[in-house]
Amino acid sequence: MIRIPAKVLIVDDEKDFVEMFSLRLTETGERVFTANSGQKCLEKLAQENIDVVVLDIKMPGMDGIETLKEIKKRYPIVEVILLTGHGAIETAVDGMKLGAYDYLLKPADSKEMAKKLEGARKRKDEHEDRIRKAEQKALLRRGGNI
Amino acid sequence: MSAMGNNRLLLVDDETDFRAPLKKRLEKRGFVVFEAGSGDECQMLLGNEPVDVVVSDVKMPGKNGIEVLEWIKENHGKTEVILLTGHASAQDGVEGIKKGAFDYLTKPVEFEHLVQKIGQAIDKKKREAEKKQEAEFKARMEQQMVATERLASLGTLSTGIAHEIDNPLAIIKECAEYMKLLLNKQELATMPRKPDFENAIGKIETAIERAKRITHQLLGFVRKSETFFSETDLKELVAETVEFAAKDAENKRIKIFQDTGHANAVIWSDPYAIRQVIFNLLTNAIAAIGSDGTIKISIKDTESRVMLCVEDTGEGIPKENMEKIFEPFFTTKPPGVGTGLGLYVTSGIVNRLGGRIDISSRVGQGSNFQVMLPRSIEACADMGDNKNICFDILNEIKGDPTK
Repeated sequence: MIRIPAKVLIVDDEKDFVEMFSLRLTETGERVFTANSGQKCLEKLAQENIDVVVLDIKMPGMDGIETLKEIKKRYPIVEVILLTGHGAIETAVDGMKLGAYDYLLKPADSKEMAKKLEGARKRKDEHEDRIRKAEQKALLRRGGNI
Repeated sequence: MSAMGNNRLLLVDDETDFRAPLKKRLEKRGFVVFEAGSGDECQMLLGNEPVDVVVSDVKMPGKNGIEVLEWIKENHGKTEVILLTGHASAQDGVEGIKKGAFDYLTKPVEFEHLVQKIGQAIDKKKREAEKKQEAEFKARMEQQMVATERLASLGTLSTGIAHEIDNPLAIIKECAEYMKLLLNKQELATMPRKPDFENAIGKIETAIERAKRITHQLLGFVRKSETFFSETDLKELVAETVEFAAKDAENKRIKIFQDTGHANAVIWSDPYAIRQVIFNLLTNAIAAIGSDGTIKISIKDTESRVMLCVEDTGEGIPKENMEKIFEPFFTTKPPGVGTGLGLYVTSGIVNRLGGRIDISSRVGQGSNFQVMLPRSIEACADMGDNKNICFDILNEIKGDPTK
């Protein structure tokens, strides 16, 4: 079975982390985009049809939570996985209340990361699927009424 | 002059006719009285039977009273001395006072006067002992406060470092994962010396896990807002935790006894945090024993506090380590085995819950960790301020009536 690659956007101000993480994800068959700040993240989202954003919470300037709020406002069905240091689990919980799919503690376990990426992508697929079906129903109903 | 009971006197005089009746009269007043016929005899007696007050004649063959006084002040500093001088030699008395005598009386001595003087000397001795005790206690408290403050700043520093280390650690981890992934690719299947690379990457991964364990443990107890207070049954928590550690203990032939009997051990606190405290102390006790030994966990209660004791028959803590055991990263285990954070985190939690930990230990015999917890958080106002806790304890011990 051919697996359709997920479009993943990695957002972290740690450039080396972004580079290595994206190399690895690309190697496992995903399509990876990167951004080094919240602002850049939003720009990338405007250009590409991203499935999942992996978002570091602690960033200078626009931090992860602010970025998350903005993402959810502009692209509500894009899934977000938060990356956080161990001391900031509360922030991660806040983030999930704001609509993030899940969170991971840095340094994250690669298997866990893979599992969560998969879960996030599945949720987005299902969500899109439901939207499509709803649109079809709406179309049909309109067609029937006329 | 009340409460003379059990106060010990030594009469030193070369005249038995003077000594014997005085002894009898003093004994009637409730003193325990010893007698010596000379300075030498006095010295010998004091070596075996310390007394509160020595009443000594000045004019004696051999060592005179002043010499006896000098010797006493040098060797039994806490003993008070009252000198008895001849009518014509007040000079001797003055010299005696200069050398540390409590006072002098001229012969012939008026009995009631002597009893009064003895009473005053005993009072002075008691006051001095109290003063000394208080000074010692204050010094100990101050030392403890300095240690607490030092720990707090050390803690802030190390949690900050731990946080910063997580980021580069994440990068190293990604690199290792990436290399591992590449090595498993078809194109590298016949790469020369591939097992060497795999071995090295494996070592990197183990080291990352180790570093991660340290940073996570260190940051683990900083999460203040995750404290949930609820009704907490210490007995239940102890039973649960013991069950958890039972297998490990059994393998090492260590018996764990629970003596939680009749104590009222339900308090208002954070059960998760307390479970971690019990678990850490139990793990430590098992580690201290190694194999073959016993651990006793007991609970004692007072109206406002509950005390949890974990007593082991392990190796004990040498004196030089006592001050360091609560410091982060202090461990006596080989590298990689212990993080040196167990007791640091434990004491952090206990402090946060408004309690404190006392330790008594004897090398080769074992240690006893006593965790004092308040029944409810109201029972310890200002729990955030260690100084206040110290002063509360101070007042409690001194029995301050305002408390």
